[in-house]
Amino acid sequence: MSAPTGERPRRPSPVASARPQRRPRKPPPQPFTLLGLVGLAAFTLVTAWDWVLGIGFNPIALPGELADSNPAMVEGLFNITDADWRADYAELLRTHFTDPDSPWLLSLDSRIGSGLVETVQIAVLATLVGAAASLPLAVLNSRLGAPNRTTHAVIKTLNNINRAIPDVIWAALFVVLVSVGALPGILALTMFTIGVVVKLTSDVVDGVDLGPVEAARAAGASHAAAMRTALVPQILPSFASFSLYAFELNLRGAAVLGFVGAGGIGQAMNYYWSQLDFEAVSVIIFVYLVLVVIVEQVSISVRRRLV
Amino acid sequence: MTETRSRPARSRLAEQVRPERPFARFRWTVTLVLTALLVWSSATVDASWGRLTEAPGRAVGFAQTLVANASLEPLGVALEAMWESIAIAWIATLIGAVCSFPLVFLAAGNLTRGRVKQPVRQLLNVFRAVPEIVLAIALIPFLGLGPVTGAVAMGISSIGTLGKLSAEIVESIDRGPLEAVEASGGGRLTRLRWAVLPQAMPEIAAFWLYRFEINIRVSAVLGVIGIGGIGGFIAQAVERNVFERIGLGLVVVILATMLVDAISSRLRRRLIEGPSPAAQARRERASVAGAEHEEDPE
Repeated sequence: MSAPTGERPRRPSPVASARPQRRPRKPPPQPFTLLGLVGLAAFTLVTAWDWVLGIGFNPIALPGELADSNPAMVEGLFNITDADWRADYAELLRTHFTDPDSPWLLSLDSRIGSGLVETVQIAVLATLVGAAASLPLAVLNSRLGAPNRTTHAVIKTLNNINRAIPDVIWAALFVVLVSVGALPGILALTMFTIGVVVKLTSDVVDGVDLGPVEAARAAGASHAAAMRTALVPQILPSFASFSLYAFELNLRGAAVLGFVGAGGIGQAMNYYWSQLDFEAVSVIIFVYLVLVVIVEQVSISVRRRLV
Repeated sequence: MTETRSRPARSRLAEQVRPERPFARFRWTVTLVLTALLVWSSATVDASWGRLTEAPGRAVGFAQTLVANASLEPLGVALEAMWESIAIAWIATLIGAVCSFPLVFLAAGNLTRGRVKQPVRQLLNVFRAVPEIVLAIALIPFLGLGPVTGAVAMGISSIGTLGKLSAEIVESIDRGPLEAVEASGGGRLTRLRWAVLPQAMPEIAAFWLYRFEINIRVSAVLGVIGIGGIGGFIAQAVERNVFERIGLGLVVVILATMLVDAISSRLRRRLIEGPSPAAQARRERASVAGAEHEEDPE
């Protein structure tokens, strides 16, 4: 009562009375943690240092390097930052992307326009073909769906190899096999789609409700029939969602394909880049970004509905 | 004997129950749209489908040249290029991890208010939406064309995915420890250090490793625009039609990627599941023995 209100009454709390019991000792860090941290630090040093085994990445000098730019390229690529960029950009879009005779319609015959359309076509075809091939493969890639262990192991190994090859490398290979154009691009992204969708979908198969499958088997269904009637309906929504996701990835991937001669917008990008026409490159990037963002938004909203 | 009883059981059942299949408008719309897309794309794309039939013949020729000229001479160069791709991917992952880490806690709904969370999420989405190749091209005027450009471009795009998914991990943590720290008077940073990090860190670190696996593939992809690495090695070989180099490059990519995937996925499993029961038991035995030894006064 008499104590000043600001001071805390020094009354022994239950916690304090428990104090002398001895605080448990903190266990020493696990050897895994120590080894891991040391190993990662060493790996970082090796890869970041400027020598044979490193790429010479110096985070301290980076801002300086960023400030020291190539003015012509900056001007070309980022003229969107100009004071009157609106007018500039409209003009650029018109010259590069539209038909000179009808300035209000986007012309799909221009190099950029046709490249953009081809990119979409490549992505659509690769996704449809790849997804169609993925559904049976995903069923076979799971313990439940594979008729025997060998099938499971073979398909799993093949798909791991497939996934280890990046899409552009697939494209380069198909350029060797079927020569340049949209075809190698379609084939490459089909392989990529199969890799992604089979992996993700077969993970879903492993977590599926076994009841319907057992019911189908008990009713005398063959393995194939049991899979089709009891398993596929369960994984279909996830499968559709993963296929849409693969479509987004394909649309992004399709931009690089052109650099190895596999068609699409990358071809136009590569062409203008080699002509040092950075303004055209900037137009391509702008239009392509808009396309990617729109498709992503649509795809995300559809996927949310699906799953 | 009535008429019904003499009927076979099967048709009686069929007559009884089969409910009418509902008209699936969604299904029909999807089928129609997909068919239309398929027809439009395959009819208008300039793909020269006929070349598909030539592919097997060409593949045989490819394999023959490959076997005839097979040599391990470019192996050193290929391995160097592969290592460069791995180095680029690692630095990119680190950039992504370091830059996204502070943003994660601002983007997690259970730690911040929507006023803070929404803008940070949008920022992460922007990083995620821009394809790596666009970032790389935009960086060329500043950094030139080289491995560092690739690493920075991939790093920036990693910030988006790492930030978003790590924030989701943080959002899924158990509230108990948070409340406990709050109840004992811990501030914001204390809460982070003692309630959030111990729960979320293993999964976040595992996710960094997973992103590293992805980045290895991306760095091979960016190689074709000239940032270096194994992608450039293979693209050049394709350009000059040196089949044995293409073959060698492929083998190196496949083996190296699968090897890194295997190591990384083991590390991830260890991070998330903790030590194996056997190792745990060994450690406990060791620590008990140590403690006994320590407390033994004699």
